[in-house]
Amino acid sequence: MIKFQDVTKTYKGATVALRDFCVDIDKGEFVFLVGPSGSGKTTFIRLLLREEMPSSGRIWEAGKEIGHLPKWRIPYLRRNIGCVFQDFRLLPNKSVFENVAFALEVIGRPKHVIAAQVPQVLDLVGLAKKRDNLPHELSGGEQQRVAVARAFVNRPLILLADEPTGNLDPTTSLGIMRLLDRINRTGTTVIVATHDAGMVDQMRRRVIELDRGVLVRDQPHGVYGIDSATAAAGAGSPTGAMAEQAPADEYPDSIAART
Amino acid sequence: MPVSAGYVSREAATNLWRNRLMTVAAILTVAVSLALVGSALLLKQGASQATVQWQNGVQAIVWVNPGASTPQANSIGGELKDSPYIKTCAYRSQTYDYDEAKQLLPADELDATALADYPSSYRCVLNDPSQAPAVYQQFTGKPGVYGVKYPGQQIKTMQSVIHILQWVFLSVAVVLLLSASVLILNTIRMAIFARRREVSVMKLVGATNWFIRLPFMAEGMIQGLLGAAVAVLVVLALYWGIGLNATKTAANQGNIIAQMSLGGWEVAGTCILVAVVGVVVGVVGSAFAVRRFLDV
Repeated sequence: MIKFQDVTKTYKGATVALRDFCVDIDKGEFVFLVGPSGSGKTTFIRLLLREEMPSSGRIWEAGKEIGHLPKWRIPYLRRNIGCVFQDFRLLPNKSVFENVAFALEVIGRPKHVIAAQVPQVLDLVGLAKKRDNLPHELSGGEQQRVAVARAFVNRPLILLADEPTGNLDPTTSLGIMRLLDRINRTGTTVIVATHDAGMVDQMRRRVIELDRGVLVRDQPHGVYGIDSATAAAGAGSPTGAMAEQAPADEYPDSIAART
Repeated sequence: MPVSAGYVSREAATNLWRNRLMTVAAILTVAVSLALVGSALLLKQGASQATVQWQNGVQAIVWVNPGASTPQANSIGGELKDSPYIKTCAYRSQTYDYDEAKQLLPADELDATALADYPSSYRCVLNDPSQAPAVYQQFTGKPGVYGVKYPGQQIKTMQSVIHILQWVFLSVAVVLLLSASVLILNTIRMAIFARRREVSVMKLVGATNWFIRLPFMAEGMIQGLLGAAVAVLVVLALYWGIGLNATKTAANQGNIIAQMSLGGWEVAGTCILVAVVGVVVGVVGSAFAVRRFLDV
């Protein structure tokens, strides 16, 4: 689904955001992207959206190499990628329904498709009753659900989330993560860049760790960091609705892989 | 991907309304400048129209002294026929001139004159209208000749005045059109700024570049078109207001405006040109704004 081959990205020739980065992400995977600020997580996401071009190396997405994509094809690439951000990026003067419908409208979907798909996805994120509210009438968690609905309404192959829970309290964050997990179960590849250690530890999904632009860890069923891994191992089996997704017998493997 | 006309016009209308003060300023500037362009064009066409009139009509009149004898009149006729400058000449008797005077003069003035006061005349068409002064030289003072008249000087003054006016109008219009483009550019820039969130979301979810650009371009085009519409009204008002639509008759031969009168097609052509220039100004202004400020 996604393949990075020796990708290096430097800004203005000096700052190295990614260095010789190689990664392979399969269809339907759920991947956490972790690392301190400035480690290259956002650059990774921007490269996937082709808001940036790699300085060197090659990137494939859904079977196409995107480095050589002509400019006019970029919008069509982005239709395969849903995007969620820390700051939600909702349109303040549009209702919940209109915000989600907007994503379909601007790619030219006919009205009857919009009328059918938007309520469906609002149902999925649990906001069917708030469809006529404006964003400022919603809580942060609800706003992020609208953003997720907007990202997912076009049924993209990939869902990118850049710090989706950065502005939310732990309980609300858990709800958003559950939602992303549900979307992942429909076969959508989900990539989440996050600092939320608790969430990563709890979900036990593949973890890709970056540090100053270099891949330092790629671990299936991983945890946020070495320390938290020990803590998680000590605490025993993780809890939460998503935990049942990861079979318990794979945990020893993941711990082995990390050391 | 086709961009629906409904979507584009809806978005453009919303933007125009949101920014209405600037929109009105841009439209008025377009209107004033295009009205100037339109009037300059009308003037130019009218002037060439009038010149054609003067040049194809009678270019020199040799008035025969009312007291002159028939042989004298005949010899003038003969000399005119032999003159290298003259193409054709038509003899008009005293009765003819009297009848013409009846049409041209008010009754009380006519009553003060009698048939005998009217000179007979030769109405001549020249090979080359610019040779009228030579004809004047040749025949003035000849026995039996009362006088020679040609409209040369009047036409020249008229033409140079119109020529200068035309250039003044056009250069002012060009300056105004430039400022109109800049005003349109600025309204579009403000519209783009007001909608930057929407634009960023549109880019994110994969709207095509033209889908994002077209409403802004349409907005500029509408401003240009509305300005042009006002200018067309001004041009038409000018056309009817000063009587450029008059039909030429013998009665208004002396009226310069009537000589400049234009047909409906010429006016329609001017209006279409004004409309096209308006649209071009709008599209160019907004295209610049979109290229410069809408980073897609």
